[in-house]
Amino acid sequence: MSKFRNIIFLLFLISQTISVSSDDFKEELYIKPLPPMHLYVYFQFITLITGDTYEHSHLAPRSLKEIMSRFQVEELHLTLTEGQWRHKQWGYPVMDAAPGAELYAWFAPTVTDVNANWKKLSATLSGLFCASLNFIDAHNTISPKMALTPLGAMNIGLNYTSQFARYASLPREIVCTENLTPWKKLLPCESSHGFASLLNSRLIHNTNYHSIGVHIRKVCSNNECTNYNFEVKQTVALVYDFKIINSINWSFKLLFGQGLFGGCPLSSSSKIYIDLTSNDTLPFKLSPKPISIIQSQRGGSDTLLAVYDIKADSPMINIGAKHSIDNKFSVTIPPPLHFNRYVLGYGKEFGGIVTEITNTYWAPIDIILLENAPWWLPIQLSTLRINGEAESSLILKQYYSPGRSRQRPYHLELLMRLPPKSTTTVTIDFEFVFLKWQEYPPDANHGFYIGSALISAKLPTAKNYTSIPVDGTTLESVINASKPWYPAVFRTNGAMVSLPTPDFSMPYNVICLACTVVALAFGPLHNICTKELVLKPSGTPISLRQRIINLFKKKKD
Amino acid sequence: MGLLSDPEYGSMRFIKVLKRIHSPLCFLFYIGAVVWFFLLGHREFNNDTYFSENALLPGLVTNEFNGEQAAKQFHNELLQELEDKYEDTDEMPVPWLVAKMSQIHLEVYTHNFTLNYPLGQGQVFKGTNVYGILRAPRTSSLEALVLTVPYRPLSSHQKGTTAGIALMLAFAQFARPKKYWAKDIIFLVTEHEQLGMQAWLEAYHGLQSDSGTFYTNLGSFWKSKKKGWEWTNHSRCLDPGTLKGRSGSIQAAINLEFHTPKIKYIEVKVEGLNGQLPNLDLVNLVHKLCVKSGIHHSYKNSYAWVRNRNSMDGWVDGVWTMLGMMSAQIAGVPNGNHGLFHRFGIEAVTLEGRDADDPAGIPPRVHQLTATNFYRLGTALESIFRSLNNLLERFHQSYFFYLLAATDRFISIGQYMPSLCLLCGAMLIRALSLWVTIQKEDDKKEDKKDNDKDKDEKDKEESKVIENREGLRKRVKGDLKEDRDKSIFKEDSDIKETESISIVSIGANYFLAHLIGLGVLNSPLVFSHIGAKYFDKPSEVSVYYGLFCVSALIVVISPFLLKLFRQRPANRDELTIINILLLIEMSTLGLCVGMHNISLGLCVCALYTPLALLVGVREAKGGLKRSLSVYLKQCICLLLHPLVILTVCMMVYSRVLFPEEPLLSALGRGRDAAMQAIMFSIVDSLIYGNWLFNVATTVLLPVWIISWQLLCVTVA
Repeated sequence: MSKFRNIIFLLFLISQTISVSSDDFKEELYIKPLPPMHLYVYFQFITLITGDTYEHSHLAPRSLKEIMSRFQVEELHLTLTEGQWRHKQWGYPVMDAAPGAELYAWFAPTVTDVNANWKKLSATLSGLFCASLNFIDAHNTISPKMALTPLGAMNIGLNYTSQFARYASLPREIVCTENLTPWKKLLPCESSHGFASLLNSRLIHNTNYHSIGVHIRKVCSNNECTNYNFEVKQTVALVYDFKIINSINWSFKLLFGQGLFGGCPLSSSSKIYIDLTSNDTLPFKLSPKPISIIQSQRGGSDTLLAVYDIKADSPMINIGAKHSIDNKFSVTIPPPLHFNRYVLGYGKEFGGIVTEITNTYWAPIDIILLENAPWWLPIQLSTLRINGEAESSLILKQYYSPGRSRQRPYHLELLMRLPPKSTTTVTIDFEFVFLKWQEYPPDANHGFYIGSALISAKLPTAKNYTSIPVDGTTLESVINASKPWYPAVFRTNGAMVSLPTPDFSMPYNVICLACTVVALAFGPLHNICTKELVLKPSGTPISLRQRIINLFKKKKD
Repeated sequence: MGLLSDPEYGSMRFIKVLKRIHSPLCFLFYIGAVVWFFLLGHREFNNDTYFSENALLPGLVTNEFNGEQAAKQFHNELLQELEDKYEDTDEMPVPWLVAKMSQIHLEVYTHNFTLNYPLGQGQVFKGTNVYGILRAPRTSSLEALVLTVPYRPLSSHQKGTTAGIALMLAFAQFARPKKYWAKDIIFLVTEHEQLGMQAWLEAYHGLQSDSGTFYTNLGSFWKSKKKGWEWTNHSRCLDPGTLKGRSGSIQAAINLEFHTPKIKYIEVKVEGLNGQLPNLDLVNLVHKLCVKSGIHHSYKNSYAWVRNRNSMDGWVDGVWTMLGMMSAQIAGVPNGNHGLFHRFGIEAVTLEGRDADDPAGIPPRVHQLTATNFYRLGTALESIFRSLNNLLERFHQSYFFYLLAATDRFISIGQYMPSLCLLCGAMLIRALSLWVTIQKEDDKKEDKKDNDKDKDEKDKEESKVIENREGLRKRVKGDLKEDRDKSIFKEDSDIKETESISIVSIGANYFLAHLIGLGVLNSPLVFSHIGAKYFDKPSEVSVYYGLFCVSALIVVISPFLLKLFRQRPANRDELTIINILLLIEMSTLGLCVGMHNISLGLCVCALYTPLALLVGVREAKGGLKRSLSVYLKQCICLLLHPLVILTVCMMVYSRVLFPEEPLLSALGRGRDAAMQAIMFSIVDSLIYGNWLFNVATTVLLPVWIISWQLLCVTVA
């Protein structure tokens, strides 16, 4: 019996080594103070899936693999975000996300009906993440032409951007624990071990900004890129406010409610990176001391990174920072490109959306601006003004697809070259429309959300830039990764308008009124139909006084 | 239910009755309206305020405000700063405010604006607002609340607002580390009172004078519409500048005017631009939370700490409170910075701190009240903001049109409208009766034979009834009879010749009267220019006398306008039609204005309904009695000229305010006040979009011109 058990154990070990060699899991944590008052914490969990069949998976979540192969998705990005990343104050995140839910995907060129697959995909993901992604429909989906490009390996010679890409965002979506729990279940160690054990939903939902995401892309499995593997990257971005956590000195216990009890045993690498660049202006000391400090030079900016390598069996670690000066005020230098979006006008007739984009860099920056307005907010291309001019030399290329009522959103893409040290204002006007009364959401007077605009930029400098290069997977690839330019996709803040909203107690009033009118009309009709008209001999005309007296007399009878 | 079975039922009889009783009916309507209005002040006729918006959840939170010491410190520091550096300047301590807000870790911005004064020599005023935004965690800045304080320099003749600024900063410091905010809070300090507020709001909503944004470059359907006089001028005089930082759509705003923390009570001010009011829920919320925080509060003549024993006192107080509210609403000038928010669909109120010896008057038993402190004010503010923070939707429930009879009693639009409707109804009834007198002549040929006898009797009876009340009416009747008798023997063509109505000439006259009104609306800029250039007078003097001259000119010329565009003098029917149009326009004006600003509507109607009812077609011949009554009517008409009303009101008011002054100097003071009032209304109309001056010149003046014409022109 014991022999048999040994054999089983041996078989199990062998099978495990085989699977570990095929699937690869890494976990990383990146912490960056955003002076003066915020702290950025970014988790990423990377699973590399080798092997084509989705029936057999060891580390990778089978549900995701199944979705990818069933709907023939080449690349998928899903983020669920609460709060707004403030680019001007905080710089750039590793992965930007629009407030609410955002989903975009590229389908394989073999797909015949992309829209049907897209609908199925969003419905399936909706079930998987307990999010209202099932509200994604033709009337809020666009196919971006220029703004979004696949991040993964793609076959050369196919235009992926237009035909097979779908993008949708749901700015009204509220993200909470119910989304985090299924997200955690996709991890090999779930939330029991490793970095994911830090994600205590009670604490992370008290941050200023939190965003969870799933990004699946194809990566080359060999140098010639003849074959590819899927890479599943699960991310969590949090921004803590020192004012709200009531201390400028942070530690894992303060941020996550507990220390870190080793890495995930299934991961091949568990690393923590802490950005020390702000140490010059706001000095702090890390405890315990990092294993190593790496200096990274990337696109003209120097970054100091403290690295901790966590093993599965390492003892509990509570990394923290102590500031030597308390509550020092420092002026933040805005990043090379920042933007602001707002709604113009008042009243319920006309309005405008303004996107202000500021280039603080000394060289021009090329950007692609994607404006995506829902059908109930008809924006007209004729009212498009760049810095107040209808004909602007800043626009290099333009794409506009007018919306259709209840069917298709308005979609505008502009390729622009922003002059150095300038602010460009893109204004487009809209008319308010009347909705049908069933089309109003609950709490109709709350207002209607306008989603974020997408800004896809080729940044000439890596200042404030923390994104992972396209050919890299881990945060390690950021180090010394200088490139001629740095691609980034940003989301501006959304806005809210209040459409003309009926008084919803009105239907009740109308019913009452209609019933009254019917009742009033019924009486005389019934009288005419059922009673006989008899001529009455008329006497002398009676005076008003007499008539009033008669009225009282009648009552008496 | 005769209406549905037989539409013709009783129409003839109705006309007869109408003709007989219309003048007492009109009188009854007028009296009824006045009685109705005064009854509204009584508890039996108004309602208790209540919370309609469930989401507000007022007073449900435990107060945590602990910024009392901070507020005191801010207050002392600010006073020190002002005494040290801003003693003899009107500038705002911008660096100090920016520094303090930055230390609290708000997002701080400054906002510059410029006013090119539209009248006079074209002075330019500049100002700066400072605001800090508290970004609510986990939101994408879609909604915002505003807490604003106007900055008043030490040299200002008004009460200071330093305690308000200190309280605002202390509240910001308290609120910044809280994680429960669902809406951003904007802390705003404005300069130059309402000007700064208006500029900030315009900039926030993107209304700018230069091209590049809203009105100037919207689609073509926009452009043609907005080429109006008001807008072009409007954008020229106030340049709101641009904002560097923004939040989302503003849901509500609270304006603080505290000169010291040790105030006795808070006056809640609600009246906004053009008489607009904040949602009753917000007003109610502020009153209720003042009670909860143990702060005494009041509204006009209604003091929350005074309880009336008998209902008569309550009634009198209620009526005085209503009248106080209406007098604040009539001019359409906001009585605090909150008033400018209303036009942008933002609900806002002002909390004004008052001492026992406030210039607004000394309320009863005020000396027994304990003074407040920063702690209590802070808790009240915290409760208000946390309650507003709970809002899911913007204010849409409850009432937007109401009158307040006490801090906790209100009169809804449904209750006060009948009063206005009765006034306008009187005019419409008069118009209807005039109309049927014209119609009668067409009908009479058919009717005549059947009931000639009957009718004659009736007419006699009618004339008898009316004789005592209104001499003119009798003449009209008599005349009608004469006409009728004549027409029996005349041919149809003959009738047409004498009785034909020239719609063109009536229309031309009507059009001309309104054109004059439009001219007067645009004249102040010209007057002020002429006055400054040739007579070297300040613009208020030149505008006032300019308007006075124009009015005198109109009085002389307007009767002759009727003779333009026509070969023969106007006949009776034409004048009757003009009279009908006058009545209809007057009642429409009353109802339209009353829908927006009940106080102005009611006031206009109460003054002009008698005039409109008195005016009638005037006979050429007549005895001494008749001509005396005509002169009397003309005098009343002259007294009711908008400019005369204003001047007389101001004179009476200054006489009431300073009873010890000799009569002549009181009159002079009244005249000066009238000059100022006209000037303010013009400037308000140019800068803020107040439409009192526009309504007075473009509608009220033409109506007056036409009634003057009717009183001066005679028919054969």
